Amino acid sequence: MNSVTVTSPPGNAPTRHRMTRNEWRNLRNGLLFISPWIIGFLAFLVYPIYYTVRISFTKYTGFGPATWIGLDNYHRMINDPIFWKALWNTVYYTALAVPIGVVVAMGLALCMNQRLPEVPLYRAILFIPSIIPGFALSLIFLILMDPTQGIFNRIITSVGLPGINWFGDPAWVKATFVFMAQFGAGQVALIFLASLKAIPASLHEAAMMDGASAMNRFWNITVPLMTPVILYDLILGLSLGLQIFTQAYIITQGGPIDSSRFYVLYLYDNAFKYGQMGYASALSVVLFVITFVLAALIFWSSNRWVNYDTM
Amino acid sequence: MSDEAFGDLIARLRSRKISRRRFMQDAAALGVSASLAGAVIQSMPAAAQSAKQVTFWTSHTEPDLTGLKMIVDAFNKANPDTVVKMVQVVGSETDTSKLMTAVRGGTGPDVYMLDRFTVAQRANEGVIQDLSSYLSKDSVDLKTRDISFAVEEATWDGKVYALPFDTDARAIYYNKTMLKDAGADPAELDSAKGPVTFDTLNGLATKVNKSAGNNFSQMGFVPWFDQGWHYTYGFAFGGNFFDEASCKVTPANDQVVAGHQYLYDYAKTLGAQKINAFIGNFMGSTPYPPQTHPFITKKLAMVLTGDWFIKNLKQYAPDIDYGITYIPIPKAGDKSVTWAGGWSLVIPQGAKEPDAAFKFMNFAAGPDGQKIYTVQTSHLPTVKALEADASLYDARHTFFVKDLLPTARNRPPLPVGALYWDSLTSAWQAIYLNQQEPKPALEGVVGKVQPQLQPSCPIKIGG
Repeated sequence: MNSVTVTSPPGNAPTRHRMTRNEWRNLRNGLLFISPWIIGFLAFLVYPIYYTVRISFTKYTGFGPATWIGLDNYHRMINDPIFWKALWNTVYYTALAVPIGVVVAMGLALCMNQRLPEVPLYRAILFIPSIIPGFALSLIFLILMDPTQGIFNRIITSVGLPGINWFGDPAWVKATFVFMAQFGAGQVALIFLASLKAIPASLHEAAMMDGASAMNRFWNITVPLMTPVILYDLILGLSLGLQIFTQAYIITQGGPIDSSRFYVLYLYDNAFKYGQMGYASALSVVLFVITFVLAALIFWSSNRWVNYDTM
Repeated sequence: MSDEAFGDLIARLRSRKISRRRFMQDAAALGVSASLAGAVIQSMPAAAQSAKQVTFWTSHTEPDLTGLKMIVDAFNKANPDTVVKMVQVVGSETDTSKLMTAVRGGTGPDVYMLDRFTVAQRANEGVIQDLSSYLSKDSVDLKTRDISFAVEEATWDGKVYALPFDTDARAIYYNKTMLKDAGADPAELDSAKGPVTFDTLNGLATKVNKSAGNNFSQMGFVPWFDQGWHYTYGFAFGGNFFDEASCKVTPANDQVVAGHQYLYDYAKTLGAQKINAFIGNFMGSTPYPPQTHPFITKKLAMVLTGDWFIKNLKQYAPDIDYGITYIPIPKAGDKSVTWAGGWSLVIPQGAKEPDAAFKFMNFAAGPDGQKIYTVQTSHLPTVKALEADASLYDARHTFFVKDLLPTARNRPPLPVGALYWDSLTSAWQAIYLNQQEPKPALEGVVGKVQPQLQPSCPIKIGG
């Protein structure tokens, strides 16, 4: 086999580019302009992450000295039934709330995309629920889903079905939180709407001329071209879903029987109610790893289903 | 910024005596100085610009909040050299996240109102200050002044970390009209006859129960509602929750299990989900407006609750003809057992005015403050001398202070108080929802709590 050796011609060796004074000044000014962000990034992100990881190897109440205990907090997690219960609750919630959220947001986006004179009004109506703050939505749902007085149970019982104790029955409470989560779908629907608008009309027109039905066009043109934003929503939804807190904190405080004790709620309890900051930090490190692994899996799978063809 | 100064500035700009840039600089300076002056003046009462500022945080809500305001006002009036500013903050009996983050950030209050059964825990964590030096400086002897269990709860590792502020006791309230309408005789519950058995109470309750479709439209009694906690039934059946000698939590001892068996059987007989649908979101953590309480709306004939409910009834349902009696007993001849809790005042680490803070605390938790609070809220005082002050109580309130408080039990003050409470609550929910038998549910609590308690052993309660 012939081998070819490539050598750089003498005199053409890559030389290090020396920055001019002007370039140095530009770099300095550029760094100064973004320095608030750099300082914020280091102070509020990098340092807390480092501190959390360090504290996770200690027994620490948040006050006084921390005692180094190595991996004890991580060992404790393995034998902690509430940890597993909280993890299960959170995965259950995320696995349902996120995909259902994609479907609901897609439905809303399609409704918002209709060519009707009143469509701005419809868009506003469909979007408004998603701007209600989480705590306000929680209080509203407490009233709407009261087992005896709430409108949901009044509707159900009026057609002869038994009433449901939405937040008081361990069998229903997580599903109820999944249902509540859909009231925030308007935010994602706006992103989906922008993506829908970006699909060239010519593609739909060409398909229509070929006799494609509306359903065919949806599955073969609309959905494939929207997969990049669906991927974005899945990653974002995964991160937010795994961090569900406010609704459970306000409505159920993790009950009944820990059936709505979500991961971050348990983390919060350990940090601020039980004075176990070290264990809470270990929980947050594990949550970070879980989120990272799941996000990586979604990214890995995206090669198979996300279509990056030019719209 | 004053209108006069700003008007002058505009006039100077219009006459071109100053440039636009100078105008903007001066206007901004005027605005900043006015804002600063305004902020300072707003936050300090005019009469007390030089007085010491004490910040007092509480998570209490109405109607108790009014009682606290009255104490603060009384103190400020009597002590012109100190100004106490009360701030209502988020929190609960066991959730002190606001306090903990503020103390870490150096912005904590001077005085915090803490549920007394968590004092040992917060002291052990290092959040609050040892009060021994303040007590000795002011010659305050809590053991002489306050009832003993309250002092025990305020003590950790031989040091006093809190001043007991109030206490309470639990009893059965019964609506005489609802019982009569249902064909039951409310006289059976007259406290003068002593406590009834749980069986007797169940019999009366059953007569009141009414269904509409698949749901109850009114009920006689829901044992776990309001103050029908795990501790309530554990104590009522003679149980203990902590063994000091072995330093072990004991939620699965026979008596505590028997108390929870009562809850389990009650739910089984009437249908756990049906009862809980009736009680609805009241069992959640969010505090509902007191006027929607089912006893006040006359949907529930009997409720196990505390002395403070006298005040609520006076305010929201003055028309209800009701009586108060002992917590029932397991069998005839037993003694009725109730339990007492209560709050306390503490000085968090990093308090800026600890001396002035203690001065206020000693007023609020002393006879002056507790008198105000007892009358205003119908809670009970921890100051022993006030128990004999008949002017503080009406006839119903007297029942709590004379007949219940002297024999009341209290929760063990442990450095894992919040975890123990939450773990018991999960087990208790599993029991009244008939999801788990009492014995295994309560045994599960030991596994969650004991490993966290162990590093603090041995523990001497009140020692």
